[in-house]
Amino acid sequence: MNALRNFLAKVLLVDMIRGLAVTLRRYFSRKVTIPYPEKVKAPAERFRGLLRLYRDEAGEPLCIACKACQRICPTNCFSIEGARPEGAKVMRPTKFDWKLDRCSFCGLCVEVCPTAAIRFSHEFRMTTVGKAPLLFRMPDMYIEGPPLQDYLCGGCRP
Amino acid sequence: MTSPLLADLLIPAGKIVAVILYPMVMVIVMIWLERRVVALIQGRLGPNRVGFQGILQPFADAAKLFFKEDIIPRDADRFLFRVAPVLVMFSSLLAFAFVPLGEPLRLGSYTLTLWIADSPVGILIVLGLSSISVFGVIFGGWAANSKYPLMGALRSVVQVLSYEIPTGLTVLSVCYIARSLDLVEIVRRQEEAGVWYGFLLPVSFVVFWISAVAETNRAPFDLPEAESELVAGYHTEYSGMKFAYFYMAEYTHMVLVSSLVVLLFFGGWLPPFPSVKALAVLHKIPGFIWYLIKIMFFLYVYVWIRATFPRYRFDSLIQLVWKWLIPLALLNLLVVAVLRFLL
Amino acid sequence: MAFKEIELNMGPQHPSTHGVLRLKLAVDNEVVLKVEPILGYLHRGMEKLWESQTYTQIVPLTDRLDYLASLSNNLGYVLAAEKLAGIEVPKRAQVIRVVLAELQRLASHLAWVGFMANDIGAMSILLYSFEQREEILDIFEEYIGGRLTVHGIRLGGVPRDLDAPLIARIKTVLDRIPHTLGDIQALLNENRIWKQRTVGVGLISPADAVERGLTGPPLRATGVARDMRKDFPYSSYDDFEFDVPVGRHGDVYDRYLVRLEEINQSIRLVRQALEALPPGEFRAKVPRLLKVPAGEVYHAIEAPKGELGFYIRSDGSEKPERIKMRSPSFINLQSLELMCRGNLFADVVGILGSLDIVLGEIDK
Repeated sequence: MNALRNFLAKVLLVDMIRGLAVTLRRYFSRKVTIPYPEKVKAPAERFRGLLRLYRDEAGEPLCIACKACQRICPTNCFSIEGARPEGAKVMRPTKFDWKLDRCSFCGLCVEVCPTAAIRFSHEFRMTTVGKAPLLFRMPDMYIEGPPLQDYLCGGCRP
Repeated sequence: MTSPLLADLLIPAGKIVAVILYPMVMVIVMIWLERRVVALIQGRLGPNRVGFQGILQPFADAAKLFFKEDIIPRDADRFLFRVAPVLVMFSSLLAFAFVPLGEPLRLGSYTLTLWIADSPVGILIVLGLSSISVFGVIFGGWAANSKYPLMGALRSVVQVLSYEIPTGLTVLSVCYIARSLDLVEIVRRQEEAGVWYGFLLPVSFVVFWISAVAETNRAPFDLPEAESELVAGYHTEYSGMKFAYFYMAEYTHMVLVSSLVVLLFFGGWLPPFPSVKALAVLHKIPGFIWYLIKIMFFLYVYVWIRATFPRYRFDSLIQLVWKWLIPLALLNLLVVAVLRFLL
Repeated sequence: MAFKEIELNMGPQHPSTHGVLRLKLAVDNEVVLKVEPILGYLHRGMEKLWESQTYTQIVPLTDRLDYLASLSNNLGYVLAAEKLAGIEVPKRAQVIRVVLAELQRLASHLAWVGFMANDIGAMSILLYSFEQREEILDIFEEYIGGRLTVHGIRLGGVPRDLDAPLIARIKTVLDRIPHTLGDIQALLNENRIWKQRTVGVGLISPADAVERGLTGPPLRATGVARDMRKDFPYSSYDDFEFDVPVGRHGDVYDRYLVRLEEINQSIRLVRQALEALPPGEFRAKVPRLLKVPAGEVYHAIEAPKGELGFYIRSDGSEKPERIKMRSPSFINLQSLELMCRGNLFADVVGILGSLDIVLGEIDK
């Protein structure tokens, strides 16, 4: 009986038809493509975008140039120098260079920062033309890029 | 009544242009259809930027291929290298001259036949012409002077030649029932019989369809030209417009084969249930519209099969045809002959 | 009749070699005689690099070994380092590590089934399995921010706790995976073309497999039930109930079935672990500059590709003196020749796919 069933299944191409039924069902089901750049998938809260330096509510920079990030970075991305300004209580960085082409986005610097000054942003648009823009100096670290939804790639239709 | 100039020169010239344009337009549609349907099956969108829903994508592809550098390998046989794509395209296109598209149209007092030639041995000529493409494949593989294309070409040739046999045998069973080798006659007989031969001869239809897919080197029988296999296929060394020719020739062959399936097994330009009086309203829709609908259905099935199944390994492919399809086709022919004789 | 032995090169650039792998094949009229893998195209000097990094800094670098299953690499290294340094990991962290490691196994096997099917020609399955893999990667992104190089297991525990919304999200994703798996099985399991290409192909006997150090699903497909999670349990795996799927013949089809069943078992494990999350700390206190006492340790885990082991020798400082990694793909690749011998060369792609190698792990 089993042998007859197997023979019939083989001759009537049952396994092929099952496969075709699966693909037919998928033909009509929801598609998962997100039409970038018209719609952009919002990254998760902890998404590891570009590193940025942040300020506190009063607008004061949080970084105290302790160089913990520089010490822990596995790939040597940072070059930081700091000094205590006249009459200030904490040190401030005088030079804060970060190399994007070396960063492995591991998050160790974010983990060790005592003031939560350096954090990941949600910026994933990291393309540059040439290698010079890959070096972020201190003012660049504070720049906030345009909002994600406003992004239009050059040449795409609006 | 109609002047000789019109009847003997202009109308045939118009038909020739139409017969060249029709497969070309179908090829353009196929390029878009294939990418779109495969994408939709896979849960993504496919080309949807160039033109409305990506309908201009084939033109973008053609423009890209047009501007590509046409490389001829240094030690290649230059003449054969150039001739191969032309041969493959030529054989498929020429066969379209013998493929009818519908009942003759009555325009005033002139009857316009929707074919260029209605030969009494039409199906034989079509099958014979589509076999000339084998030469193009061999030339392409040989001329490139590289062992991978040559092996791919030889495999492709073995595959096509082997699968011609069940094709011929199943066509023979249809012609036996229809008592004719003429394609127009076969469709007319289906109209008289009131049933499409696909329902009368299901085994023939299935064997013919499988052989047809293998003839056109399409999945799941596309090992000779699959990119992820070791041997890359006879069109490896081709680039630019020559490669475009091979590409278009494959689609043209697919359209040709679909036309044959429709004519032989699916009633050609007949509406479904041609003899049922209650559905006579379906006859109002012109024949060639039905014809196009059916061809589109089979082209869809081509793409659907491609997106679903893994590839046959070459030896399994050959075993399939020699051990299963040919004996089955022979047995089928015998059974059909006996039943026709008895009934 | 003299046979002609042709030497063919499956070059470093090839759509189906799963990375930059070069294979020199000696072929006689289609039948494969010899297979010689030539490696090193992705060599980055990882083991030497680690000698100049501190133990904390090495963890993100291990992400890049088997880049399709980075949490497993993290786990393997971190367990070895913790064993050497004598760090005790809290129970909750151990269970969270089980959840993460099994989710990573799911992602790795889903990627594998997609690539394997694509190599054999069934290209839609790649898209279906990757749809599920993307959902798992989205979980990792919500958890810690990384999708491919996750760095989600750190020395002493895990960097973040699993909170209720994340647990709910994991459960939702787990509910969806069996449907996709059902689709894949309907498309492949009984399909005659798939079976013709995989049954009886790439055979290896259990004795040969054990002798050559084959581990992971290829070993279990030959019938040898060896799984590091059962034989030498780590990170509280012995608290959970799961089966180890074992094949019978040791061919490509069995490896495929074993991995699909492992997906089911991983789902079972994750569900149990999520139910049994004990309260407590999710990370032990570990100094940033960890000084490890002198000594050596070898610890192996069951990564998705096989037995992944780390040998660490310390001289008492904060940087290791020598780390040697036993990468499963490298050892498994050595059995490729025995598996391919006697098969047609069109099968080499399928057999290579069934071994599930990742060049990042092989070349380090």
